[in-house]
Amino acid sequence: MKKIKVIIVDDERLSREELKNTLKGYEDFVLIGEAENADAAKSLIETEMPDLLFLDIQMPEKSGFDLLESLDHVPAVLFITAYDQYAVKAFEVNALDYLMKPIREERFAKAITKIRDSIHQKSTSNNLAAKDRKIFIKDGEKRFFIQLDEIYLIESLENYTRLFFQGKKALQRRSLRQWEEMLDENIFFRINRTEIINIEYIQEVKQITGGRLVVKLKTGELLEVSNRQSVKFKNINKI
Amino acid sequence: MAYWKIQLIGWFSVSFYWGFSAFFTGDFSWKIGVADFILDVFIGITLTHMYKNFAIRKGWNKLNLKKLVPKIAISILILSFLYMFLIVSKLYLVRLFILKGSMISFVVFFKSMELQIFITGTRLMSIWLLAYHLFHYSRLEIATVKENAQLSLRIKEAQLNNLSAQLNPHFFFNSLNNIKFLVLENPDSARRAIDLLSELLRNSLNSNVGRLVPLHDEINLVKDYLELEKIRFEERLQIKMEINVEVSKYLILPLSIQSLVENAIKHGIEKRKNGGFIMITIEEENNYINISVQNPGKLCKEIKGSGIGLNNLRERLLLQYNGNAFFKIKESIDETVLATILFPFK
Repeated sequence: MKKIKVIIVDDERLSREELKNTLKGYEDFVLIGEAENADAAKSLIETEMPDLLFLDIQMPEKSGFDLLESLDHVPAVLFITAYDQYAVKAFEVNALDYLMKPIREERFAKAITKIRDSIHQKSTSNNLAAKDRKIFIKDGEKRFFIQLDEIYLIESLENYTRLFFQGKKALQRRSLRQWEEMLDENIFFRINRTEIINIEYIQEVKQITGGRLVVKLKTGELLEVSNRQSVKFKNINKI
Repeated sequence: MAYWKIQLIGWFSVSFYWGFSAFFTGDFSWKIGVADFILDVFIGITLTHMYKNFAIRKGWNKLNLKKLVPKIAISILILSFLYMFLIVSKLYLVRLFILKGSMISFVVFFKSMELQIFITGTRLMSIWLLAYHLFHYSRLEIATVKENAQLSLRIKEAQLNNLSAQLNPHFFFNSLNNIKFLVLENPDSARRAIDLLSELLRNSLNSNVGRLVPLHDEINLVKDYLELEKIRFEERLQIKMEINVEVSKYLILPLSIQSLVENAIKHGIEKRKNGGFIMITIEEENNYINISVQNPGKLCKEIKGSGIGLNNLRERLLLQYNGNAFFKIKESIDETVLATILFPFK
């Protein structure tokens, strides 16, 4: 069976030790590193590319949520918390797993099985990494884990961008240019100076006077493509 | 506004009633009737209004019933006499001016009228004064009841906050989690931690809100708590305690030092990667016990203003010491926060 690479992020040593001890019984889970704060964790995650993160929510200076938000590529995450109503509330939005300290062995086993299944399923069914890429975003009090291909439109608002996904909107600190660099260009296309669309969501493309294109998304939006990008779009799609 | 409305309606109807009964006695003169009516209203309002101003100036509206009743009784008597003189004089003068000459002497006239008018005066003044004071008394009562309710609500709130602050669940579960691992790594330390945690739990369950505790007990509680936090934060937490008083001598507010220390841990250690020093000093200072807790960090608005723990402490200090104990928290230049309580000697 393929090994699952794990990183533990928790500011308390005893807490990390306890987790390591619990994880001992699961041989396909290999600990490749541990970090005691969000900054150390970020560089560790970016170099080691773990499959799974055990993540404490309350940490000094930057929380576990802050860490996830700063990542371009979020691995599977199991939240560990001592007591945090805030965290528990956050997961009403996304059904994701979290464990409460001290962690019961049965509860841990269950979570591990679930994680193992979902990680293996992904690696066998679909090799397109881009499809599985997840990001973690925060909009006000709400937090979402979203798969990148769930985003259908990104709108630029000066230094911010607005994300449209699952019928929801969220404001992000990333610029449109940063998104462009991060996203798969086979799926995402920049239609003009202020918008990027997910081409899988296109329902209809029409040509208007001057050769410019207008796209209609499945979600109903009508968007105009700039002159230059219209030409590019036609070339790529051989219209 | 309501006062004047009631005054006018009251005295108008009383005077009208007299005019009305005079109208049916037989020899009714319109001139006398109208003059009597106007002067009756005028005398009634003037007397009672003067009394009202006097009572307000003397603060009678704020007195309790026991003190108020004799004052009202005497006032009624005096007012009735005044009323009697004024009304009898009025009756005499009106008749003197309108009937011209054919009048008996004032003394005889007075003697024939005095008792009847005096009784009427007593009745009217009693009604007026009682109504006036009852109205104000009930208003005062309602205000007091409201105030009391608010006060007891505040105490309840403080007690509740206190309870949840003591049983800090985050601390509790973290400690249990640590103990779980210590059982393997260092059984002696685990056993010790269980003792400490039990002691803290017992203490928070037997919380005696509203009573003072020996300084000695409070210090032991804080020591237990810090020992447990030391297990959790390891080298991130450094502790220094300086106690320069005879700890068995004094009584202080329970969980007061504990609140400061918990706050110091929360903001000075837990939220800082490298943690830091917590320094506790207890000393005597001009009839006060000065307790100060210092931790690294900055004082943000959030901590100063609305922190549940510290606000609760402030409120409990106020309730217990009626403003004779002092609490302040401030930031020093070298990125440390210093919280101080001054307790008066008890």
